[in-house]
Amino acid sequence: MSSNMCETVANQAEVPDEKGDSDKGLYDNFKTTKKPRPPKPRDAVTIAVSSRTLFNMAQENRIYEQEGLEKYVSYQQEHEEEPLTPGAAFPFVKALMTVNARLRDLYPESDEMFDIVLVTNNHAQVGVRLINSINYYDLTIERFCMTGGKSPIGYLTAYMTDLYLSKDSKKVQEAIEAGIAAATMFTLERENDLSDSQLRVAFDGDAVLFSDESEIIMKTQGLDSFFEHEKQFANKPLAQGPLKCFLEALGKLQRKFYSKDERMDCPIRTYLVTARSAASAGARVLKTMRSWGLEVDEALFLAGAPKGPLLQKIRPHIFFDDQMFHIEGAQKLGTIAAHVPYGIGQKYHRGIALQPSPPGH
Amino acid sequence: MDAEIVVNTDIKQKDSRHALVIAIEHCAFFDQNGDWEPKSSNTASEVLSHGPAISFIKAIQRVNHKLMEKNPNETFLFDVILICNNQIPENQSKIVTSAKHYGLEISRFCFCNDASFTNSMLSNNVKLFLSTNRDDIVKTQERGLPAALLCKQVAQEAVDQLKFLFIGDSLGIPEDLKGEMFNVNQPHSLQITQASLKELVAVIGQMRSKFGQDDSPLRTCLVTLWSPRDVCVRALKTFRDWGMEVEEAYCLAGTPPSAILAQIQPHVLCGDGLYHMRDVAALS
Repeated sequence: MSSNMCETVANQAEVPDEKGDSDKGLYDNFKTTKKPRPPKPRDAVTIAVSSRTLFNMAQENRIYEQEGLEKYVSYQQEHEEEPLTPGAAFPFVKALMTVNARLRDLYPESDEMFDIVLVTNNHAQVGVRLINSINYYDLTIERFCMTGGKSPIGYLTAYMTDLYLSKDSKKVQEAIEAGIAAATMFTLERENDLSDSQLRVAFDGDAVLFSDESEIIMKTQGLDSFFEHEKQFANKPLAQGPLKCFLEALGKLQRKFYSKDERMDCPIRTYLVTARSAASAGARVLKTMRSWGLEVDEALFLAGAPKGPLLQKIRPHIFFDDQMFHIEGAQKLGTIAAHVPYGIGQKYHRGIALQPSPPGH
Repeated sequence: MDAEIVVNTDIKQKDSRHALVIAIEHCAFFDQNGDWEPKSSNTASEVLSHGPAISFIKAIQRVNHKLMEKNPNETFLFDVILICNNQIPENQSKIVTSAKHYGLEISRFCFCNDASFTNSMLSNNVKLFLSTNRDDIVKTQERGLPAALLCKQVAQEAVDQLKFLFIGDSLGIPEDLKGEMFNVNQPHSLQITQASLKELVAVIGQMRSKFGQDDSPLRTCLVTLWSPRDVCVRALKTFRDWGMEVEEAYCLAGTPPSAILAQIQPHVLCGDGLYHMRDVAALS
């Protein structure tokens, strides 16, 4: 690691509109650790992960639920030196680090890269075990936020988060409502044989990259009306969905590789995996993407066929979908799938409208 | 002029041998920084009506109340005194009247000047000096006394829990690197401020440990502004050794702090010589 990659962290605080006069002379703490300094948040693509998506804390969670907060915190403190095992977001985080390494090689002075932040409502004392585990796996997570029980949602904006991953669907929903791309992750069921040289991210189309406007027609008026509607409005771009901006951020990083002639060897690959069929409803999707200036590397129209087998072939580090039916199908065949709780799909299960919850729930 | 102490006869005095005495500078009771001049139109009662100190005292009162609930004979309580430099006698009486009018649990008023300030702090067994004036905080620290910033509360409603936020960047530096690490303009006070910080952390930690994890009226937090994560963890462990298990921890590693500090919403911000940072200043 060459020394010109390590800079005074004090410079970080000197964002033009927030200059402090005592910042100068503060120590080059990153220089002493010989680690690359974390990127400036406004230039980076910030990924916030919760402690339970980064690590498997099933056992510890059981203690919290059965024995309460005090016992849980003591347990974690007693086991502070034991590293936790990887969680569902762990492969994704490793893949982000791989991309960063390639970016640093090509652009040593740039802050345009991934910045991974641990955002958790865990107690700070549990944090010691979390950071010890981060050290154990040598993960590049330099920033963290442990709110000791308070909701972490307000902090997501403060840390300039571009994507938030959590196991708690309530928090994810709050984040989406606050305009932050977010998805719910589940327990990592098995070891995955994922690429360690290329980050692969797969997205569903409707209600993930795009709004749920067409899906509403599909659910309320049926497939035929849906096809007619999409053909009629083929040239009208769909409104954006909660994960559009994240795809956009990935595209910006991809272009940094393209401009250095590395398109064939780009360490980021994106996929659109949609139940739409190319013939009847695909045009609108592609035209929408074009109007946004966005690309995906592969657009896969399944015309209603199950997504599981295709995803199994793609082996993404993460797959975003708004419908639990697709999430479950993907998980059955070993794909790491994250649920985006947005849009009309939440009111249906396997095509059937859910009864609204009785008041008080 | 020697310091003059006025006892608030409306308040039951605390046992000063055991109480945790906090001195609040009078400027913290007003919205603006700098010297305060009461308008002649202010009635005496209205004088102390604003300022971050008000919500702070309310949160303190809640802590004391809960401590007394657990043990009606508790002597380890917070004891708030108001400290006032160089006030004319007229304003002195207005301040006392106003505190009584609002029922603020201020047990004593200490009117002194620069010369008698340090003695007043020591003789009143003050464990922490709070102010909204950054220069006064730094001056107090330079005299070897523990001092911290009383923060403006962003939300209109007072936050229920009394929240202390400690800036831990200087704590996590390995001993051998401390010498070369700090700004030469900073006085030698690093040793002094750390020693007084340790005492403060120990006593606040002691207070905090009287409550369980849930429903505590007192909350402690740690933030590092520039340091890598290991420094933050080292600071966390140091605090633990000193007797305080912080509940919240934030490692910013250079992220612009103002939005995050506004989310944390502390009442008190303790840090070594960092009060001239613009982001920190925005809290006062």
